Amino acid sequence: MIPLTLPALSDAEKPFVTRLRIVPSDQESDSCCIEQAENQLLFSGEHGLFQVSGSKADALDGDIVIVTPAENKVERIIRSGSAQNSLLVTERCDQLCVMCSQPPKKTHFDRFELFTQAALLAENGITIGITGGEPTLYKDSVFNLIRTVFETRPDLNFHILTNGQHFQESDLETLRNPWFRNVVWGIPLYSHIAETHDEIVAKKGAFDRLHESLNYLLLSGARLELRTVILQSNLDSFPGLAKHITGILHFVEQWSIMQLENIGFTRNRWDSLYVDLRNDFKSIASALDIATLFGVNSKLFNVPLCHLSEFHRNFAVNSISDWKQRFGERCSMCSKIDDCSGFFEWHPPEFLEQVTPI
Amino acid sequence: MKELGGLANLRSSTVSDRYIFANDEGRFFAGQHDLLSRIDSNELSDREFAFLQERFFLKNSQLEKHASLFARARRKTGVEGMEYLILVPTLRCNLACSYCQVSRANENAEGYDWDAATLEHVTDLIRQFSARSLKIEFQGGEPTLRPDLIRAILDAGSHIPDMTAVICTNLQRLDEEILGIFNKENVQISTSLDGSLATHQSQRTKDMGLTSEFEKNLNLLLDRYGSEKISALPTVDPTNLPVAEELIEAFVARGFRSIYLRPINFQGFARKQHPDSVDHTEAWRAYYEKFIYHLIERNWANQSEVVEETYFSQILSRIFRPGQDRHVDLRNPNPIGVDYVVVDFDGKVYPTDEARMLTRSGIIDLSIGDIETGWDTPERQTLHDVSTNEHDPVCQKCVYQPYCGRDIVDDISRYGRIDVPRDETYFCQRHLAIFDLAFSLIYSKDESVQYSLRHWLGLSGAEITLGETL
Repeated sequence: MIPLTLPALSDAEKPFVTRLRIVPSDQESDSCCIEQAENQLLFSGEHGLFQVSGSKADALDGDIVIVTPAENKVERIIRSGSAQNSLLVTERCDQLCVMCSQPPKKTHFDRFELFTQAALLAENGITIGITGGEPTLYKDSVFNLIRTVFETRPDLNFHILTNGQHFQESDLETLRNPWFRNVVWGIPLYSHIAETHDEIVAKKGAFDRLHESLNYLLLSGARLELRTVILQSNLDSFPGLAKHITGILHFVEQWSIMQLENIGFTRNRWDSLYVDLRNDFKSIASALDIATLFGVNSKLFNVPLCHLSEFHRNFAVNSISDWKQRFGERCSMCSKIDDCSGFFEWHPPEFLEQVTPI
Repeated sequence: MKELGGLANLRSSTVSDRYIFANDEGRFFAGQHDLLSRIDSNELSDREFAFLQERFFLKNSQLEKHASLFARARRKTGVEGMEYLILVPTLRCNLACSYCQVSRANENAEGYDWDAATLEHVTDLIRQFSARSLKIEFQGGEPTLRPDLIRAILDAGSHIPDMTAVICTNLQRLDEEILGIFNKENVQISTSLDGSLATHQSQRTKDMGLTSEFEKNLNLLLDRYGSEKISALPTVDPTNLPVAEELIEAFVARGFRSIYLRPINFQGFARKQHPDSVDHTEAWRAYYEKFIYHLIERNWANQSEVVEETYFSQILSRIFRPGQDRHVDLRNPNPIGVDYVVVDFDGKVYPTDEARMLTRSGIIDLSIGDIETGWDTPERQTLHDVSTNEHDPVCQKCVYQPYCGRDIVDDISRYGRIDVPRDETYFCQRHLAIFDLAFSLIYSKDESVQYSLRHWLGLSGAEITLGETL
């Protein structure tokens, strides 16, 4: 696992954003490593000197970080060379999904200004995730961030995870702006049956409100990804959900079907939520066929290739973020390991035994 | 009174004793013959109402209405800029096939290659190309007679991130220089294989030595690159139809799994040499159907190698999937000079290869411009504006309109005009026959039929019902 937060010491008064470099740089936004000793790195930049521990300098080179002096920490917000960087803009949420991997908190610290500065420093052309909590609880701040970044960095892309509960007709004008051309909204939809969806997200009326939002997003030409986590409670509804999506939500760019992640609420509910696809793939296979037949691009996430038939491997994406990806011992014998998502770092260890090298 | 929004656009048609209903989005089902009149008089049963509602034929919510508009819009070709260039660097050829579609010049003739100025204009065009992806097809004549021109074009496009080139060649001659071009990862090879070598020889090479040279070269390329990089097309003479089994085996034996069965479109020289070819619609229809059934039997008997007819798979895909508009033979509208053009050996620009042939054979000048001054011309606009089936009264009643296309060049070549009643045209009759065949197969209860259809559509399981019945 790659650490995303490291201990740091700084005399600065406020949190600041900077890019870490191991070679000298004359850019104002950069902080250069001027001393390395015993896992202690000393950086110097426009916010003065600060010390980072727990990592080699090479591993941090090019990372865009937020240093928070009061908490003695540095967060690697946009890691150099990583395809998976997300800005956690809030931890508040108005849904309480049964399998939430990032259980919400009541308080909110507004760090949009820092996140905007970080995004402006990002490498050319990358995709930055925006996640939560529910980012659209702070919809205006999210829109501001996108607009500010797009003004000087039209090369960047955003992928925003949202529950789709807060879009309104009055957002159409904003959403139709060219700055949303590089924005994909990732929206969970768990069933075509309103009650099943509402139960999973623990919010009555969520399904209907989501479809109201989807109408606005369609009208604004927004780019959408629908996301469905596989659960025992929605497994049977996958073929029906596929018909629902191919019927009226065919304008999405992708339907992502995702295997469960053993973290957050799921940790204590694993046995009642998890579906072993090796024994129970029929419903998913049927859903993939329906989506394919009607031309809706669908993908499977977080499923190791050896859990799938050869045919269905074409749908699998090597999806687990590099910092939480893990393989079993026998995986080293597999010819497909480079294309495989592997397992989440925090999956039950016995999972690592459930592999069949290809 | 039931709220029946969205049902006004249903059309119906009889296909082998079955009534097919489809809306403007191309969604279809089979039902009873009097359904439309019962919709008109609002006498649907609860069961029928529920069936139509569950399948989104009824449009009640804002989302349903807008999604439907979106689906209808996706049935219309959406292209914005150049994607596909067909280049004819030389008209010279080292074969003289009896039906040569393109008209040709002798191998040693002079003045049938791009001159320096034309080459400069074509390379300029490609150098200035700024989109991500471009496909270039080298046609002829025989383009491998001028490997230097092919190289110049490939070099000019080296900045394009996703550029692919297809070289259409008769494979009569292979040397190091040509292999050097074929070696490039983004180069594909397309050749003609008319079926058995005997057929190939009688239609093309005429000479045993040339035939074995072709076979040797094809085998060499297949050994070297595998069948992924190479495609072969049979040219089928509708007045002298080959035995389907022989044709299929000739392809399968070489590792090909896709056969694009195209009747010769007699134009130019070919029309003069095959005067009896004008009316072969019925013979072709019967042959095509037999061919598809033969593939179905073969696929069922030998499930390890699923073979498809390329155009039939394309038709199936268009029936189910909106937005499949990159196949220029079948789309609507069929934009002229927008996403693809043909640049001839003399720098003239044509909307399609058929338009080039028609012009070469002296029937009508269908060039829309030239490579030096461009093709944003009144000629292009005139053709472009009518290249649609949108407002055709026959098409508007046809259940297949959302899947079908328009080919005004074919109309011009056959009838000298484009206002012949649609159902009297070859294009319409040929496609009606293919769509009828497709729908009768979609509703076939025969397991072997469903097996092939699923594979041609890229589906895995036996669970899926392709055609639903009310």
